[in-house]
Amino acid sequence: MSSQLSQVADQLTSSTGLQPNRQWLQTLLTTQRSSTPLQALVQTARFRFLACDITESVARDACLPSDINDPQVKERKLRGRIAVQVMGIEDISKSRWEQIEALEAIERGEGTKGREIIRVAATDDSAESTAAPVLKGGVHKLLLQDVAGNRVYGLELKPVEGISLGMSIGCKLILSEAVVARGIVMLAPSTTILVGGKVEGIHKAWKQNRKADLRKGIEEQGR
Amino acid sequence: MTSVLGHLNELEFAQEYRKWSSCPPRALFDAPVIDAVAADKKPIAQNITQQARYCSALFIWTDCDREGEHIGSEIRKVALQGNHSLEVKRARFSNTERAHVIRAAQQAITLDDKQVDAVAARQELDLRLGAAFTRFTTFTLQALGPPLTKNDANGRSVPISYDRYFKVRNFIPEEFWSIKVLHKRDSIDVAFSWRRHRLFDRAAVVILFEKCLRARIAKVIKLQKKPTSKWRPLPLTTVELQKLGSMFLRMGSSRVMDIAEKLYQKGFISYPRTETDQFDRGIDLRKLVEKQTQDHAWGPYAQGLLAGAFKQPRSGRYNDQAHPPIHPVSYVSPASLDDDFRRVYEFVVRRFLACCSDDAKGESNTVDIQYGDEEFHASGLIVLERNYLDVYPYDKWTSSQPLPQFRLHETFEPSEAMITDGQTTAPGYLTEPELISLMDANGIGTDATMADHIKKIQEREYVMTRSGPRAGAQQDDRNTQAARGGSVQQFIPTTLGVALIEGYGNIGLETSLDKPFLRKDMEAKMRQICAGTKTRHNFVQETLEQYLEVFMTANQRQQELVKVIRLSKPSGWV
Repeated sequence: MSSQLSQVADQLTSSTGLQPNRQWLQTLLTTQRSSTPLQALVQTARFRFLACDITESVARDACLPSDINDPQVKERKLRGRIAVQVMGIEDISKSRWEQIEALEAIERGEGTKGREIIRVAATDDSAESTAAPVLKGGVHKLLLQDVAGNRVYGLELKPVEGISLGMSIGCKLILSEAVVARGIVMLAPSTTILVGGKVEGIHKAWKQNRKADLRKGIEEQGR
Repeated sequence: MTSVLGHLNELEFAQEYRKWSSCPPRALFDAPVIDAVAADKKPIAQNITQQARYCSALFIWTDCDREGEHIGSEIRKVALQGNHSLEVKRARFSNTERAHVIRAAQQAITLDDKQVDAVAARQELDLRLGAAFTRFTTFTLQALGPPLTKNDANGRSVPISYDRYFKVRNFIPEEFWSIKVLHKRDSIDVAFSWRRHRLFDRAAVVILFEKCLRARIAKVIKLQKKPTSKWRPLPLTTVELQKLGSMFLRMGSSRVMDIAEKLYQKGFISYPRTETDQFDRGIDLRKLVEKQTQDHAWGPYAQGLLAGAFKQPRSGRYNDQAHPPIHPVSYVSPASLDDDFRRVYEFVVRRFLACCSDDAKGESNTVDIQYGDEEFHASGLIVLERNYLDVYPYDKWTSSQPLPQFRLHETFEPSEAMITDGQTTAPGYLTEPELISLMDANGIGTDATMADHIKKIQEREYVMTRSGPRAGAQQDDRNTQAARGGSVQQFIPTTLGVALIEGYGNIGLETSLDKPFLRKDMEAKMRQICAGTKTRHNFVQETLEQYLEVFMTANQRQQELVKVIRLSKPSGWV
């Protein structure tokens, strides 16, 4: 049994880059029939592993430092690899109001149910645009949580593939030698590994609260 | 040879249904209708019947569009009353160039009864639906206050101004921050703007800014110099004339159309109701340019075109096969016209000359730099040849401050870097040009009826206009239209308009009644009749059934509608 545990644990680590919590894995395996072939076990374990809250399923070996949120620290580097999960995401390149309007347009069924949308008409049809190119795809700010439950904001310094408003909440990331500036982790392709996964409960809650959160954000401006 | 003045016939309900109180509005869905010569057109019809007695053939030269086809059929009807054995032909033409007209005369065709049917169907639906819904709405409101003005369809453009009104009303400003980098070189101050434009999170901007400062040195990562041009305008259509008329000439769209109509009747400009934005190759444009050479203001420019600068105009995508784009037909001295007439004529002429000119040419320079992890850019524009801009003051395109020399990969220490902040501002209320664009994009009304719709919703006091100071920058400063500035008429729904829409909305009709979807559907079906894939009868029945369902729902919930409207009762109502 214990050799089976190690085998599954090793395979999980090699496929996700994360160390599973032995206790959690043990409990999971006891619910499986002993006759289940190893590969099927690994498949099941991997799915559960990524769908589970990080504080339960991932081994507590590397955590964020306890003073990570300190805004006095101008810049520092996080040693090694630290597993975190996404608790929320916002696009700070667009006004919250603009995002609320977009959400409401979807609620009304525009754009999703094949109803006709009031098309906006561009007035200037001529002339090449001499306007400055604006970065597309947004700039994201993420709320992250480590295995011990410490929370920190992450800022997408350079576009990281997979980070978008459409990503799953509860998705696991590995921060590797990441830089923290004024209490916020800088996310860039070179220091951020996207593992994947989704925690249904927090994903649903985030989605439901998104509009209210945006409104709250507007109200709390300047405070 | 004789002429008509638009439609001869008028569709009306039978006498016993004409009075507002004569029947419940529901009855109008199947009340008998009578198609007869309108009272004020009787002399015209009699004249045609009379003339037909002395002729052996009738040659119809009405406009080659659906309405024109239908008018042709009305002429045919009254002419045949005078002479049964008349041979009837019609000409297919799209402009009044001599050669074109002669060709059209040699290749006469027969009237297209499919198009006639499409128009007849449309007329019937407009009459039935317009009257039924207007009477219903008015009866509902009469319980509450003064009666509304009568007649046909609901202003479908109210919802658009309503949507925008609430966008403006509900808007909450938000703070944003940005980073700006300044550098002085060759005694020119260059301002570099941030690739990220702006962020709505102060902490994030401060962190990124600190990263820039720590890097100290900026590096030129891209230099680009490329020819650029501002395109000359497309040939003028009705929708464009209305839009630009209210934007540049400060006249309401229906006023612009009235004037254009009169200029056309006097033979100064071509027919002003057209969707075509491409000139037929057959039209001798140079000849038209030549007529303008005698003018004091734009004459020399027109001469320049004839001396070699002339270019065949760009072609747009639309051709209604009936009318050419709006253009000046003959020269009239602007001094001999009244002020508003002069300005519309001048606009049409300048637009036409601009179409026949070359694009404005320039050169744009951009410098991209990397500073810390962030990228910034600066750009400059040099206008090299103004071309059409010389005759078309309505477009603006000017050189910016020149950029100093930069070398690729060179590094420098910027003179200054700073965090800037700002606030989002509400979008302005809907302006007439915007409303016209939106109506056009969503298929509300046709080029010919749009201005009337806009006038009607004002007369009915669904919306009011005010010539507000144009709310400076739009919420998004990417919007360039604000720059054209000045004060344009803004549309704000009245309490009555708001109550109507909320009333319909609350009783669940918003999807069907106040949104323009069904209208567009109707237009598509008219095209099917023209193509012969649908009969007039099927179309009318189908559409009436569709609307009847909506109508019955409205009836059932009439009391709810009254309640909502009473809640938001306009001030002054008893």
